[in-house]
Amino acid sequence: MPLIRKPASPPETPAPDDRNIAEMLIEGSDDERWTAARRTTLLPEALPLLTTALSKERIARVREAIFTALAKMGSSESAAVIIPYLRSDDAAQRTAALDALRAMPGAAAVHLPGLLKDADADVRLLACEIARVLPADDASRLLEELIERELNPNVCAAAIEVLAETGTAASLKVLGQCATRFPEEPFLAFAIKTARDRIGSR
Amino acid sequence: MDDTQQITEDEFKRLADFLYRRTGMVFTETKRYYVERRIIERIVATSSRSFAGYFAYLRSETRNEVEHLINAFTVNETYFYREDHQLACLSSDLLKERVTAKRPGDTIRIWSVPCSTGEEPYSIAIWLLENWKDVDAYDIEIVGSDIDTRVLEAAAEGIFGKRALMRLSPELIERYFHGLDDERWQILEDLRQSVRFSRVNLIETKETRPQGRFDVIFCRNVLIYFDDESRRIAAENLYDNLLPGGFICLGHTESMSRISPLFEVCRYSGAIVYRRPQELRA
Repeated sequence: MPLIRKPASPPETPAPDDRNIAEMLIEGSDDERWTAARRTTLLPEALPLLTTALSKERIARVREAIFTALAKMGSSESAAVIIPYLRSDDAAQRTAALDALRAMPGAAAVHLPGLLKDADADVRLLACEIARVLPADDASRLLEELIERELNPNVCAAAIEVLAETGTAASLKVLGQCATRFPEEPFLAFAIKTARDRIGSR
Repeated sequence: MDDTQQITEDEFKRLADFLYRRTGMVFTETKRYYVERRIIERIVATSSRSFAGYFAYLRSETRNEVEHLINAFTVNETYFYREDHQLACLSSDLLKERVTAKRPGDTIRIWSVPCSTGEEPYSIAIWLLENWKDVDAYDIEIVGSDIDTRVLEAAAEGIFGKRALMRLSPELIERYFHGLDDERWQILEDLRQSVRFSRVNLIETKETRPQGRFDVIFCRNVLIYFDDESRRIAAENLYDNLLPGGFICLGHTESMSRISPLFEVCRYSGAIVYRRPQELRA
C-alpha cells in the first residue's frame, strides 16, 4: 500500500496584509493584483479602489476578479461602476461586464430602466439579457415597455427572446403589435412566432 | 395538473432553454420523454396547477426548486469509480503532464471537492494504485473536502454498502476492503490514512485558501447548483487552489467555459478537463 498520508501542506500563498491591499491592487505584480482584487471587498474604501483598479487593469484574469468583487458587493453603486464597460469596444470587456451585472440582479435592476432607454442600441440590446435574471413579472413589464417604443429590430429581437422565457399571456398583445411594426423583418417574425408559441401554448 | 398529463413541445423547449442557461444541462428532443416525466413529477410535487405556474415558480428560485429539478435529472447517488473515464484520463494524461516539472519523491496533490461520503477520493487512491505505474515514485496527497461535516465523518470511517461498491470487481474489494458483515465493507486502514478530509465551503475564500494548491482538482456536479455570483466566486477560488498548469475535472454535464474565462479547455481522448494556464494571459 504505497499511498501514505501526508501532513497537510501549508498554503503556498499567504494572505496579504490588509494594509497592503490597496497598494498591491494598483502597483503589485499580476498575482498580487489578482489576490488584492479578491480581498478588496474587506476594506471600507473598496468601491473607489476597485473603480480605479478597473480603469487601469489590462490583465483579463485580474479584471475578472475585480468584476467579481464588484458583483459580490452587490450595491447599486458597484453596479454603476460596471455599467460603462457595457459600452466598451472590446467584446470581451462587454461580455465580462454583462456577466458581472447578471451576477448581481438586485443591484443591476436599479439601473435597468435607464439602460433599456440608453441612446446606444448595443447597450439596450445587452440590457435585455440583464432583464433575464430579474423576477419574471419585472422582466416582462420592462421588456414589454421597451418593445412598444423600440425602433431597432435587433433590440426588439433580444427583448423577445427573453420574453419567450419570462412572458405571460399578457405579453402576447405587445408581441403582436411588434410583428405589425416590422413586417419587412422575417427574422423578427420568426422570433415573435416562437415566443408566442411558447408563451401561449397553454 | 396530475401525473397523467403531458407538456407541449413549446413548453418543453421553454424549460430546456431555461435549464441550459441556468445550469448548462442540455436536453434535446430525443430526451423529451425522460425530461417530461420528471417535470410532471415536480409539477405535481409542488402542487402547481399548470406548466406555466410551475415554470414561474421555478424561475422565482423559491424553495430551491431549481435544485430539486436538477436532482430529478441527475444521479445523486455516489459510488466508487463513478465517471471512471476521468480517472483513466488522470492516470494516462493529467499526471503525465504534471510530473514533467517534478522530480521523483515530489508531492502530487489531488483534491476531491465536494467528496460526500468519500467514494471519490478513495476511488482516486485505488485507481492510482491499480493503474498508474509511477504511483510509488511520488508522494501523493489526496484531500477530500465537503461542506457537510456529517458526510466527512462517514468518509473518514470509510464504511460502504453494496451499491457503493457495485462498479468494483470482487478482486478490488478483496484487496482494499475488509468485510464487516454481509452488507458492509470498510476501506483498509492504510488506505483510509492516505486520504485527509476537511470541511470546506467552496464559495468561502477563507476556507478554500488554507487547503493550499493542487495539481488536480475533481469538482464534479456541484457548480451546476450555484447561482451566477456563487459560481464566479467558486471558479476564482478553484483557480487559486490550482498550481499553474494544474487541472480541474467537472461533471460531464458541466462546462467551465460557461462559468469563467480563467481556464483553458483541454481535450483528451477520455475526457474534457480545464487547466489553469501556465502563463498569464493579457
